[in-house]
Amino acid sequence: MDAKMSAGLKTLFETKLNGVMRMYLDTCARCGNCVDSCHVYASMPETKYTAVGRAEVVRKVFRRYFKMQGKFAPWLGEVLEFDDDTMDKVYEAAFTCTGCRRCMVHCPFAIDTQQVMSIAKALLIGADKEPKILSMLADMSIAKGEGIEETRSDYAEALRNLEPEVRSLWPLAADGTPGGIAVPYEAKGADLLYVPLAGSHSIVSAAAIMNAAGEKWSLSSFEAVNFGAFVGDSSKMKKIAARIVDEAKRLGVKEVAVVECGTAFRVLRHMIGEQPFRVLAFVELIDRYLAQGRIHLHRDRLPERTTYHDPCQIARNSGVFEEPRRVLRALTDNFVEMTPNREENWCCGGGGGLVAMGEQEFRMKSSKVKADQMRASGATVVTTACENCHSQLSDLNEYYGLGVRVEFLSHLVGKALVLPGESWVA
Amino acid sequence: MEGDTPVAAVTAASQAVAQVAHTGFALVMDKIYYFIMVPMVYLAIAFFIAAIVVKIVKMIQAGAAPYQLAIYPLPKHPKLAALRDTFGMTQIRKKNPLFWFFLMMYHLGFLLLFLGHLDLFPQINFVDPASRHMLGAGAVGLMVTIPTFYFLGRRFRGADRAISTPGDYLFLLLLLFLFLLGDMISWGNSWTANGFVMTKQNFAQYFDGLARFTFADPRLVLHGSHYHFVVLHVLLAELLLIVLPFTKVVHTFFALPLNMVRRTIWTRK
Repeated sequence: MDAKMSAGLKTLFETKLNGVMRMYLDTCARCGNCVDSCHVYASMPETKYTAVGRAEVVRKVFRRYFKMQGKFAPWLGEVLEFDDDTMDKVYEAAFTCTGCRRCMVHCPFAIDTQQVMSIAKALLIGADKEPKILSMLADMSIAKGEGIEETRSDYAEALRNLEPEVRSLWPLAADGTPGGIAVPYEAKGADLLYVPLAGSHSIVSAAAIMNAAGEKWSLSSFEAVNFGAFVGDSSKMKKIAARIVDEAKRLGVKEVAVVECGTAFRVLRHMIGEQPFRVLAFVELIDRYLAQGRIHLHRDRLPERTTYHDPCQIARNSGVFEEPRRVLRALTDNFVEMTPNREENWCCGGGGGLVAMGEQEFRMKSSKVKADQMRASGATVVTTACENCHSQLSDLNEYYGLGVRVEFLSHLVGKALVLPGESWVA
Repeated sequence: MEGDTPVAAVTAASQAVAQVAHTGFALVMDKIYYFIMVPMVYLAIAFFIAAIVVKIVKMIQAGAAPYQLAIYPLPKHPKLAALRDTFGMTQIRKKNPLFWFFLMMYHLGFLLLFLGHLDLFPQINFVDPASRHMLGAGAVGLMVTIPTFYFLGRRFRGADRAISTPGDYLFLLLLLFLFLLGDMISWGNSWTANGFVMTKQNFAQYFDGLARFTFADPRLVLHGSHYHFVVLHVLLAELLLIVLPFTKVVHTFFALPLNMVRRTIWTRK
């Protein structure tokens, strides 16, 4: 690596050094309390898969370029210089971490390894060594935002084709009439903007549920997933989120409900600053409809022993713990918790862009602890509220032969809606 | 009464020796000892304060994190929760109670150690100034020494060994030797019949000289051959003060703000 590149990476590193980050880098006492917090280490016990092991890679570079120790006694902190070998270590640290922040729960100094890894990801982008698939997907999202006017009519046409599927779950349209529009798009006067993913599976059940609740809603033109966040490019992350923010402002909605996608939800809820609308996870919306009596559910549609996987970005990183549990208790009498659960839940192992990157072998081996946890619950249905988690749990189910069914909460709710004229037991 | 004790005899002998003008190597050592015992004390404290202030100012100037970094569920009283995290080390207590026990012992011991040194100033008295015992009568030294052995020992096994750097070992060794020398001084005075050659009252005179900036040679009040140990103890304490701002011990200052970050919501929408 030449001196120019090295200097450029140092400058890039410096841009990430806000006050909190400096404290994260300076304060770790290497007490080891985080060592077994990581699902990867719990499944494959190697130091490089611990939170502290990953963060130390970044800290060793920090010490080399930003601390006196790096100049006078580099051996004390085993510092790392920018070179290809270091960048390989940086890559391994950054992209074996799913950013679940379970280690932060256990750190006595509350060090956020996901934040420290954001430096690693920025360095990889600077060195042109980031996973290209994630950058490409982020660029596609941005390009979609720039060219949306050209594709709007095609999208509207595609949505009309979804209407029969939506009506199969709930016969009435959003305006409560049989003949109205079941998937409102660009709806002026809507109270709520629903942001889906690319794929009808993220629209059909949600549309039926919102129509059943009599919500004045509109479907977003954009997919919620934020590949800019996965790849660690804050500029792209903001651009991707800005498409949705601008759309919500243009339509004048009061709320934005985010599809079952953890990272998308956390980005919009916590990472874009104050906005003139409220951001909800879709499961929060379902919970509200149930509490307000706007939808009712059949409780006999899910007799199997059912458990819930708390998606990291929705649960411990955003505080949505009880809503999915209330929804599940409205769906079934046979709900059991995984152990551990809530903020202590094991990450599924698919976050941080790993599912999008493929990484099948690593994802499966590094998530053995998750598979064991699912098996130990004794459940035959594993529910969740995150697309990444759903994909990963499904893969684990197949790889480890768990014999469970993995379901989105919204899909279960969509299938259990009490239709107009149907009787139900409260 | 003092005239009947061996300490008094040593004191008299030392005072007599002190009257003899040193030359050559002894003179050089005298100068070095004086520098360590007086000017360097001020320099080390001033350096420590300046370095910590610079560090904290740098942190503040570097700005806040771009977005909220809280972990849920949120406690009802975030500030109290952050205080509990910081001073109760609840995360460690839950996962490793033995480690937590030694950490609590160590940190409490360190606080008492600080108070014990303050007690050496004649102007501050937590313990009867006439008492030969230092604060805790030697137990405070044990409160930091025993955990330091544990902290060092655990770094030689398992995952803790793998995540440790040479700096971690060296820093613990610095602490260990500093504490052991302090133990010799406090145990000597508290637990042995003849005592450490220098008494608590002698140290009080030395501390008084420092507090009053008299720049007097401590040798005039700290008598006997044990002086070498005292000088070494002071030197290690100065080294600790000088390196501390560049070590992980800055967690003393940053643990609470970081725990506040974990427990605080910035945005709700």
